[in-house]
Amino acid sequence: MSSAILLENVTKNFNDFTAVNELSFEVKAGDIYGFLGPNGSGKSTTLRMIMALIKPTSGSIRLFGQSLQENRSEIMRKIGCIIEKPDFYGYLSAKENMKLFARAHLLTYTTKQYDDLFSLVGLKGRELDKVKTFSHGMKQRLGLAQALIHDPELIILDEPNTGLDPQGIIDLRNLIMTLNKERGKTILFSSHILSEVQEICSNMVVINKGKVVVQGGVSDLLSHENLTVKLEVVNPLTTAVVLRQSKWAGMIESQEEKLFVFKMGKTEIPEMVDYLSQHQLGIERIDYRNQLEDYFLKITNA
Amino acid sequence: MKKILVLVMSLFSVQAFAIDDPNALIRELNKRFSQVNDYTAHVRMTFDIPGVKMNTMNGKVFFKRPDRFRIRTKGIFFLPKQNPLQNMSAMLLDTSSYTSVMSGYEVVKGKKCAIVNIIPLKNVNDLILGKFWIDIKNPLVLKTQITTKNNGTIETENVYVANSTFTLPDQIIIKLETKKIKISKMLAADLNKKSKDTSKDNKLETGTIVLSFSDYKINTKFADSELEKTEE
Amino acid sequence: MKEFFAILKNELIKTIRRPRSYIGFAVISFICLMLQGAFYQDGRELLTTVTAQFDNIFNVQGNILNGNLICFIVLQTLIVQMPLLVAFVTGDQISGETASGSIRFLLTTPASRTKIVVAKWLSGLVYTLLLLLVLGIFALFVSRAIFGVGDLMAMNSEGLTIIRADDINWRWGYAFLIAFLSLSVVASLSTMLSCIMDNSITPIVTVMATIIIFTIIGMFDMKSFDVIKPFLFTTHMISWRSLFEDPLPVHDILTSCAILFLHVVIFLGVAIFYFKRKDITN
Repeated sequence: MSSAILLENVTKNFNDFTAVNELSFEVKAGDIYGFLGPNGSGKSTTLRMIMALIKPTSGSIRLFGQSLQENRSEIMRKIGCIIEKPDFYGYLSAKENMKLFARAHLLTYTTKQYDDLFSLVGLKGRELDKVKTFSHGMKQRLGLAQALIHDPELIILDEPNTGLDPQGIIDLRNLIMTLNKERGKTILFSSHILSEVQEICSNMVVINKGKVVVQGGVSDLLSHENLTVKLEVVNPLTTAVVLRQSKWAGMIESQEEKLFVFKMGKTEIPEMVDYLSQHQLGIERIDYRNQLEDYFLKITNA
Repeated sequence: MKKILVLVMSLFSVQAFAIDDPNALIRELNKRFSQVNDYTAHVRMTFDIPGVKMNTMNGKVFFKRPDRFRIRTKGIFFLPKQNPLQNMSAMLLDTSSYTSVMSGYEVVKGKKCAIVNIIPLKNVNDLILGKFWIDIKNPLVLKTQITTKNNGTIETENVYVANSTFTLPDQIIIKLETKKIKISKMLAADLNKKSKDTSKDNKLETGTIVLSFSDYKINTKFADSELEKTEE
Repeated sequence: MKEFFAILKNELIKTIRRPRSYIGFAVISFICLMLQGAFYQDGRELLTTVTAQFDNIFNVQGNILNGNLICFIVLQTLIVQMPLLVAFVTGDQISGETASGSIRFLLTTPASRTKIVVAKWLSGLVYTLLLLLVLGIFALFVSRAIFGVGDLMAMNSEGLTIIRADDINWRWGYAFLIAFLSLSVVASLSTMLSCIMDNSITPIVTVMATIIIFTIIGMFDMKSFDVIKPFLFTTHMISWRSLFEDPLPVHDILTSCAILFLHVVIFLGVAIFYFKRKDITN
């Protein structure tokens, strides 16, 4: 698969503040790529750099194999985006707004094409209303229409679920899947909510404080082979002795009083619980998280 | 032929009055004035007024005895408040309103003139003193100096060529003293002009208006309504 | 080029459709009609403030209070208001979109930032031209219809200049062209500030503050200010008045036009330079 987005050592400084620090990741064409990070992690700055709204301090950004700096116009023809909350010209109708964007892309849309576009984003019947009368969710839908109007190869969605009602979120998820599966669009989807990314993305990168924390395939990152298991026991001293003599001794990451932390596969958990029961050792609580959840929880708590 | 006859008669009449009698000179002048009941003429006006920039203006003059007067133009023009065209003949014609005194002789444009002072006996047009330089050989007013209470002093120089028999000048040069016309910067909204020395602006300067007449039509009995219209 | 005309058309549509664009037209029409009404009622009395100083010496004859004089007075009255109205729209063109966020959509189209700034600047100039057209129609043609045509008694601080009616139309034509060039400086300054600042009010206020300060400097007859005056664009903005001087100060007019044009080029140049490098962070 060819590369749709390739960031190499991209850094962005705002005076003394480093918003993005030596960031590198690659989005393959045809992928739905999750871009995850807590608020203020540098997600929007990164996406703005990809959309040429912000100039990187250093590093290189290549889209479709071309340098963004040198081929901006050509690249922009192939990208559609919603960056943060979509803002339109409130004094114009939804359709008039779309006409502006169509004209900017040198497109002449027929009435039917506009109808299809508004149907696709769930705004059919509201196209002649002034945008100033729209709710945030409706603006978000219009933002999606704007991102799709020129049938781009790559769609960048920055927190597109913000402001959408539950049905809207489901509709958007289905739309993203359809665009990817049926029309072959590459999608870069940013969010600060892990579950949103988990559900639709094939690959993802998690960033924090402008740096990559973890990246890879969602299935790998969410694998049950390398879980973080937390075990709280009744009798920590005896339990420690018993466990250190068992096959799980090498999987113990840490122990703090009653809490033991292991790295192990999901299948190991019932076996270990049985083993402790046989030794009449009581368990107060047990839970497990995969690596990604673990990382994400750490950085969001921080 | 008629004109020649009038001219000859005028020459004879010059010999008939005593040159040191101002009343005789005025009588002769009034006799000539009296020949003109009305006239129209083309007038070309040039202006040199301190603080006013104005191009030459053409117009038409309408006059009816004793002092009904109108200049019709297509635009704006300035005339002295004491209009010499309007006032000179009217002032001299009413002999009961003034007393005339001979105050000497002076050569004006190569012609010996008697200087006749007109001192008003009653208040007519705020006149304080009128000085008339009258050609003693061919009684025509070649120069005047009229001083009024409110309007200061106005001098005129009259040039006669074609219609001297009717005492109608071909050119009148009006000179008057005036302060330079100034418009306040705020009123003019003429901002950003460089400041300049304004100390001289309050001094009196001489303004000149030259009226050149041509195409006189005398005693044509035009309608009074012509005197009402302002625009040519 | 097709792309440029497409975004220029977009900008013109936005300018035409924005409610605030019409405030300028309304203000100009209102001021013109108000002044015309006032002059119709009390014009002769107002003129006595001018003629009083030579009233006892001269009779001014002819129709002084005519359409040309009203237009002249309206134009000089609007010295302060017109730049405000121009800045009100042009100062908001980029910063307003930056503040609202719609600039992000504009900048993610294929059009380059230079093209976007120039298109916005040009649409600002078209708006300025429309404002002047409305002013011309109301101040000149409506005034002429009400008060008639006649010689213009142009009031300058140097005195009065009488411009003959048959010699005035070409002067008005050039006067409006120079007024357009002057207001283009304001539009360009607003565009420049609009590129630099991120909210819609500050560029408008800054333009007005600049014009007010420069105008105050121009108002005072102080030797020390004379050194600065030639360098202030406001000094040259009123050079339209020079067309109503006699003789015509052609050299001064051309110099002022060149200086105004230079200001336009500099302001637009800075606007493009800055905007090309600007990070859109909000």
